Amino acid sequence: MKAKPWQQAVGWALIVALLLVIQPVDRKVERDRIVLGMHSPTPLTKIVDFDPTAISGVVMGAALGGFRGLAATMMWLKMQELWDRGQGTWFSCLQVMRNVTLLDPYWIEPWKILGWHLAYNLYVETKDPQERGVLLAKGVAALKEGISWNPNTYELYAELGWTYFDKIRDYEEATKWFRASLQFPHPEYLERMIAHAYEQLPDMDRALDWYDYCLKRNPDDGTARGATTTLRLRYLPAWRLMQAGKYDEALKAIDQHLRVDPNGTIGLHVKAHIYEQAGRKREALETWRVSARVSATDQLARYKVSELSAELGLPVSPEEQAPTYLMEQYESSKRMAVPRRGRL
Amino acid sequence: MRAIYRVATATFHEAWRRRFLNAILIFAVLIIGSSWSLAYLQPGAELKLLIDIGLGSTRFFGMLIAVFLGVRLISDEIEKRTIHTILTKPVTRAQFLLGKFFGSWATVMSNMLLMSLAFYVVFMIKAPGFLLKTGGTPGEGPGIATEFLYSNIAKALGLTLVEMTVVTALAVMASTLFSWIMAAIFSFFVYFVGQVANFFKSLANPEHGAGTLSQVIFRLLYGILPHFEVFDMREAILKGTYVGWETLGMHTGLGLLYTVVILGIAYLAFMNREV
Repeated sequence: MKAKPWQQAVGWALIVALLLVIQPVDRKVERDRIVLGMHSPTPLTKIVDFDPTAISGVVMGAALGGFRGLAATMMWLKMQELWDRGQGTWFSCLQVMRNVTLLDPYWIEPWKILGWHLAYNLYVETKDPQERGVLLAKGVAALKEGISWNPNTYELYAELGWTYFDKIRDYEEATKWFRASLQFPHPEYLERMIAHAYEQLPDMDRALDWYDYCLKRNPDDGTARGATTTLRLRYLPAWRLMQAGKYDEALKAIDQHLRVDPNGTIGLHVKAHIYEQAGRKREALETWRVSARVSATDQLARYKVSELSAELGLPVSPEEQAPTYLMEQYESSKRMAVPRRGRL
Repeated sequence: MRAIYRVATATFHEAWRRRFLNAILIFAVLIIGSSWSLAYLQPGAELKLLIDIGLGSTRFFGMLIAVFLGVRLISDEIEKRTIHTILTKPVTRAQFLLGKFFGSWATVMSNMLLMSLAFYVVFMIKAPGFLLKTGGTPGEGPGIATEFLYSNIAKALGLTLVEMTVVTALAVMASTLFSWIMAAIFSFFVYFVGQVANFFKSLANPEHGAGTLSQVIFRLLYGILPHFEVFDMREAILKGTYVGWETLGMHTGLGLLYTVVILGIAYLAFMNREV
């Protein structure tokens, strides 16, 4: 027997009413899922910003529900195949890598390789400083995004710390990320990396603190023992004299070391730092210039040259000029810097 | 109630005699049983992939069973004209529909329980080894938080049961509207689109360049589609987030509301259908 029209109307009205009841329940469930960390908002804007064509793959993967991990694994195998074909496929690899991270953001390996691919492989593919800046920024952003998905493991913090240390040469920023990685079970070398970063900065007191920490943690740590001996012999005398305000004696002490190793980056950084502390900005500028000339990768020296030249109203040659993206990075690090309390 | 129970019992027994459903179940148990071997495809993240494949297979094959079983319930009876015999007895259409739903639901649940059991057994055997392999200890395993791992897995399986209740209702509804092939296509479509319902919400956002018409369409789609993704607890498992009973209750309540709405639509459609 068919339902009468009014019965049907009542029925449909009830359905609509129930659908309306569902909405607040659904909103509460959605909100709870985000607040309780059961679900992260869909990174739709990131997909579109990065590669609009990737959206179909990601939607398909999402529709597969629990099979996203497997789909990501298959795509990763495809990426390896592209990789093996050589350099011509590196930008294609990048898209596949990015899709893998969107499909399975809890898989750490693709984040690490994506960050490294952007900041290292693709970086050297171009000579345009602007483009390089974009690639480096994308590499850093990829690693930070990876950390937001995987905050409970040391790996991506360490990877980001290394990118700042080795590629951007922003040692202050590098130490922040290396220190963040220490909250979780981590390999021993990360503690030494912090000391190395402070050596390069240069901040010998903090470098020594960290080497001491490494030795307390593991008295058999030969690397830390060797590094602390070198630091004490080569740089510490000059550093202590500088701290005592005896700048000329400090310069003599560091020059003794530079006579043996004139291109030593740490020695040059220490010397330039002593000049800065003594208020001898021009000599500091010249020393940073030397450091920038002897090491093509010494971006900190380039930044210092740019900074001091601007301060002294002097022109900077294009080869000495730090790329814009690095200037922005260092300025941003300075703005974000938290006043230090204590040494470690 | 008696009529509903009888139709449900008959549906349950009939469903277990369907060979293709048994084949899907056997295949699913085999895949779940061997999921640990596929886990090696992600070196260093074996445990994560084991959970992915195990839970994913349980959901996917559960959905296949629910759809293929549900879509044939009413349409088969109409095509074979056996529905006339049943409806001439003192069985109303509502009782028939509910009996069919509960019968297929019981079948899907029993299948799901077998798959869940297979997954839990594999998980209990392989998880400790994978955890050790990645150098993890409870609470600090790299890449996967393990605080509430075992209880969360059980809760995830529980939510999958709720999800399959909704899918069964969806397939039964589709079976009252279309032929079984069309009903199957419709059910799969709604299930897959429901998995990405959140995308519609994002697409409806004017910040993403959606026009007024697109906003209306996407909001409407988001409003009426069941959001199957809310039954996916994988993220909570990986983060080691404790999923409380209250949260689980809310999710279950939402699932039951979806089921009631879908069965309501099925009832209205079935009442008007010429058989």
